[in-house]
Amino acid sequence: MAELKYLYGIIPTDELKQTPLPSFKGLDDQHEWYPIAFDGIEAIVCDLEESDYNESALKEKTSDVEWVHEKAFHHHEAVMKLHESYTVIPMKFATIYTSKANLEETLTKHYQEMDGLLSWLKGKEEWNLKIYCDNDSLRERTAAHNFTIEAKKKELEHMSPGRKYLEKRKLDRLIDQELEKDKEQHSSAIHDQLATYSVKTDIKKNWNKDVTGRTDEMCWNSVYLLENQQVEEFLGKVKQLQEEWKEAGFTLELTGPWPAYHFSKLK
Amino acid sequence: MAIEQSTQSSNLVDVLETVLDKGVVIAGDIRVGIADVELLSIKIRLIVASVDKAKEIGMDWWETDPYLNSKAANKEQDKKLKEENDELQKRIEELEKKAGQDNRLV
Repeated sequence: MAELKYLYGIIPTDELKQTPLPSFKGLDDQHEWYPIAFDGIEAIVCDLEESDYNESALKEKTSDVEWVHEKAFHHHEAVMKLHESYTVIPMKFATIYTSKANLEETLTKHYQEMDGLLSWLKGKEEWNLKIYCDNDSLRERTAAHNFTIEAKKKELEHMSPGRKYLEKRKLDRLIDQELEKDKEQHSSAIHDQLATYSVKTDIKKNWNKDVTGRTDEMCWNSVYLLENQQVEEFLGKVKQLQEEWKEAGFTLELTGPWPAYHFSKLK
Repeated sequence: MAIEQSTQSSNLVDVLETVLDKGVVIAGDIRVGIADVELLSIKIRLIVASVDKAKEIGMDWWETDPYLNSKAANKEQDKKLKEENDELQKRIEELEKKAGQDNRLV
């Protein structure tokens, strides 16, 4: 039966020679993963039965959230395992080739770039920062400390009740706007400080509460690529910033180390 | 590294958004339709929702596997602390009870 190749990631051959590939069951829980050598780099793959994982079978499988959940974590576990022992270019979930020849053709095409990327990624890891803010306490703070708002409030004091009501509603809107500005400014200031430790950074989309399942709101989501020897200082800085911003209603959450998912783009 | 204090579900989101959305695709032959950002966000929401359901029935292996979740290590420690705390609490209660009885005897 025809076998598909599921690609987890690319690692350098010399590192594989130093540390043999640990044993690991592939996506279908049957086939063990293995390396396919290609001129100094290794593609780490597992075989999949064509009949079970062809395009239409996968279409059906990926519409099942539980399947996606389980297999996405399988993919993550596999790439983490590679990342533990090797420099790795991590593949996106479900990167599948219909044959070894097709995979090799693609490797040939991207060889230069991947080889360069591997040397660049060596000794680096990725960390993810998410900043959440408690809108209520932050709103109070903004309302109390903002000069524009302060001035408006003073004006309000001398108004007639009817006018006051309308102006008060306007003021509330202004506070909301200022709050958004404050969040953006503070978060980006935090980011700038952390960026000085990083080789490269990327700013990502914020997730809404439905996705995060939290009560506070995500106001910043970014990733940092760090040299291994910078990690400790970076973590120290995050800790300091966590303390610094706690009272203002900001929660900084850091996760990592991750394989360099966000910094492995090929052109 | 006890730096992150993330809730479990946000860590789950981290993994899903990263694995489903990022990483390199070097022109795989088979295209899986979860790359589109809007769709991805819907998918993640569904998964997070189904995970909450799974948690209700006690299916949460991915959260306690230290391999998948650097948080789990902390959790392990938290659990130990909690057990220790419970143990101490119990002993205090016993002591208090005993002290109460002693007083009554006097």
